[in-house]
Amino acid sequence: MSKQAVKDAAKSMVKVLEKFPEERIKHVISFKDVQIERFQKISGAKMSTGAEAQKPSISDIKDIINRTSKPLGLSSKLLKEMQSSSPQEEFTEVSINEQIKALNNLMANKLKNYYDAGDKIYKPAGNPYYYQRLLDELEGKRKENIFTAFRTVVFGK
Amino acid sequence: NIEEKSPEDLVKHSHYKSNPFDATSNKPLQKKPKNDLLSLSQYESGSYQLPQWKNALGELVIKYFKLDMDRVRAGSIAGSYYYSLCRSPGLQYENEPLSEAAKFFYEDLKLPRTFSQWFQITILHEWILFTRMRAMPFKYGRNYQQKLVDRTFSDIEMRLFEEMNVTSSRISDQYLKDFNTQLRGAVFAYDEGLYTDDATLATAIWRNLFGGRKDIDMIYLEAVVRYVRSNIYVLSKISDREFATGNFKFVPPNETVEVLTPEHELELKQKVIEKYEAIDNKPDILPSERSNLSYKN
Repeated sequence: MSKQAVKDAAKSMVKVLEKFPEERIKHVISFKDVQIERFQKISGAKMSTGAEAQKPSISDIKDIINRTSKPLGLSSKLLKEMQSSSPQEEFTEVSINEQIKALNNLMANKLKNYYDAGDKIYKPAGNPYYYQRLLDELEGKRKENIFTAFRTVVFGK
Repeated sequence: NIEEKSPEDLVKHSHYKSNPFDATSNKPLQKKPKNDLLSLSQYESGSYQLPQWKNALGELVIKYFKLDMDRVRAGSIAGSYYYSLCRSPGLQYENEPLSEAAKFFYEDLKLPRTFSQWFQITILHEWILFTRMRAMPFKYGRNYQQKLVDRTFSDIEMRLFEEMNVTSSRISDQYLKDFNTQLRGAVFAYDEGLYTDDATLATAIWRNLFGGRKDIDMIYLEAVVRYVRSNIYVLSKISDREFATGNFKFVPPNETVEVLTPEHELELKQKVIEKYEAIDNKPDILPSERSNLSYKN
């Protein structure tokens, strides 16, 4: 197996990853960015400056800290070690192609369609608009005001 | 066209080789007697039989105070039985072989063998149950969720002291607050993923269950998404009554869930209706067996 084949496979992996949907809100780490960076390294391409230009602003960081705590309750020292450790992994053309296939399956929503849970789960009887409200809030379509928030806290829905 | 494979099969056929960063601290733990049980209370052991007079007294109280058994049952079903289901896949003991489900999480998915990882595995399972509890009538579903969460935190508190050698309640409180934040974050992210698409669910799983590690195998993500979706599919096919009385077990990762054909589904529903009609129409039905939850949905 030639190294070039692995590089080519990694390049097509990056292409698939670029089509990966954006996250609706910012998190501490972004799956898409982290994985694009990882496979770009393997493909030997120069790192695009795009990812660096999009460094989070101070307000973004404040927002994230307000929302989340340390993942997995790990100490910050261990977290740093985890983030800086370079992955020990080996790729072959076969394994990258498997990665592409799995990612494509996820992006094509195959499992959601196959194991269709239906309205019983997506519009749950106890709280039919639960998910829709969550999504509206995420997409900024409808914001809760102080009164609706109060109602949610008191009545639970 | 989707391959009929179990999550474990998917993972085992991956050709990707990696050696992920292992956050396990291999500090020897203080030897403690193994505590597999939920609690040392005799009422939670499977073999315990309530004395006849206590049983009769209980039935009388339920009957004359008109207790709502669907509310009462939440404690033993969600707080005890369902919690034990959520807790066991991630359990591990020093110098002891892992259970089948734990092998999938720790060996196949190469997750670190830590307490926080156990918590992540537990809340993934709890969230799967939450999706079904929301579909129950509101006041009952809410109660079931509450009981499950309450039990989780009282168990964590106990285990922090007993197993993790935490000695001060200030420190354990900090951990509990941290776990609480994680639970909220995870439930929110999983909910978003469940309702939107597989890709979003996969990123939520990557951030929470896998701790956002760089060297992730996409096949692992696909396998866990399959595990989650297939279990939710099973939950969507059982009625409120069955679920509320504890007639559910997670489909283990080494088994495949097949989609029901419409005829099969109808047959299944018919059988469930017959079963519960027979129970409800029994002339000598015990007050504790009564339930108002539907067995037809």
